[in-house]
Amino acid sequence: MSCEFYKSEMYAWRPGEDLPDSKPLLDHLATCPECAQWLANFSASDERIRQTFSAVPESPSLEAKIFAGLDYERLQKTPRRSTWRNWFLLPIAASLLVGITLGFGPWLQEARLSRQVATLLSQPPSAEINSTDQKQLLAWSAGALSGDAELPPALSNVEFRAASSLKVASHKAVLLQMKNEQRASLLIIDAQLTAENTIKSFHETAGSDSRWSDGRRTYVLLFQGSEQDMRVYMTQMGIVT
Amino acid sequence: MQITDQMFNDWVRQHQRLLFGIAYWWTGSRTDAEELTQEAFLQAYRSRSSLRDLELVKGWLVGILRHCHSQMRRRTKSREEVSFDEMLYEPESRPTLSADALALHQSLEKLEERHRLPVVLFYFQDLSYREIAEALELPIGTVMSRLARARQQLHELMKAPTKLVLMKKAESR
Repeated sequence: MSCEFYKSEMYAWRPGEDLPDSKPLLDHLATCPECAQWLANFSASDERIRQTFSAVPESPSLEAKIFAGLDYERLQKTPRRSTWRNWFLLPIAASLLVGITLGFGPWLQEARLSRQVATLLSQPPSAEINSTDQKQLLAWSAGALSGDAELPPALSNVEFRAASSLKVASHKAVLLQMKNEQRASLLIIDAQLTAENTIKSFHETAGSDSRWSDGRRTYVLLFQGSEQDMRVYMTQMGIVT
Repeated sequence: MQITDQMFNDWVRQHQRLLFGIAYWWTGSRTDAEELTQEAFLQAYRSRSSLRDLELVKGWLVGILRHCHSQMRRRTKSREEVSFDEMLYEPESRPTLSADALALHQSLEKLEERHRLPVVLFYFQDLSYREIAEALELPIGTVMSRLARARQQLHELMKAPTKLVLMKKAESR
């Protein structure tokens, strides 16, 4: 059999884990210096790939997130005994359900959106500041980003009430809360997003976004509502795209 | 077999890093890997009665992770959207990765899924052919042939670095 055949065999071979018919291969390696050298090179390259695979980023909050999900699941599954009180409580539960649907619906949606944004942003805020002083907020943001935190002209009319420093993947970022609009915030990322990048988690929860870039940073207006509502808000604030 | 909450919690602590790592290399995205790991543990908890042998818990969890990964792929296939982490493939914005890691990410992206899944288990977790076969629910012969093809492709792709990887190597010198 040819060397090429044995090379193809070696791609499937793992030292220490014999193939069912590895004896002919081992015999060939003992007599063919070229294939023996090829295997040595292949093994070195293989080891390098194996080492590279071990470089996995840290995810410090993952365990807590898993347990939070499990706690919720266990809470749902806790067995309840059916008694006369359950029947007595049924109308109250029904009223609460209506209340939740009508009254707490937006609040629940907001809470869900907050979780989604938190997931999107990978990590919880590492620092926060509450202030309506624009200069103070931008100076604070500059410290959290790399260098100044000037806004692009299109956003010059926007006012803020708080800022949080975060990381989007490995990039420094700041989330600025809009002063007069609870549904809107501005995310400034120290990285450039390409046009086709969309904020997947955010869109899945009926959020909208609009973005600007100055070639170095990306500014993303995150809006908890439809595209149409966001446009109305932007028009009111004099924000132009 | 009774699997208590305490036992399951211990498995989370023991194996969450493993599942996250596999998911990270399967998806190429930290965010997706976190989501996938959380979903896998949740589904594992719900179906814990299906585990027949406590010795096989690792392979069982990896199998559930693979199932969640397929579900995620089906969900995202229909959308044109990409995750935030995918922007990290842009030249100017993947500063923390080594040239080798960047090359590996790009090479894995080019592999077909049927090759990418076993090759990650092979290299990252050092699973045996049999363990990979069990986790992927494939015959062992299929796993061996797919791995041989996957390793060959991976070595070839890693040998031919992209422009971006070359730039990264030049930067690190």
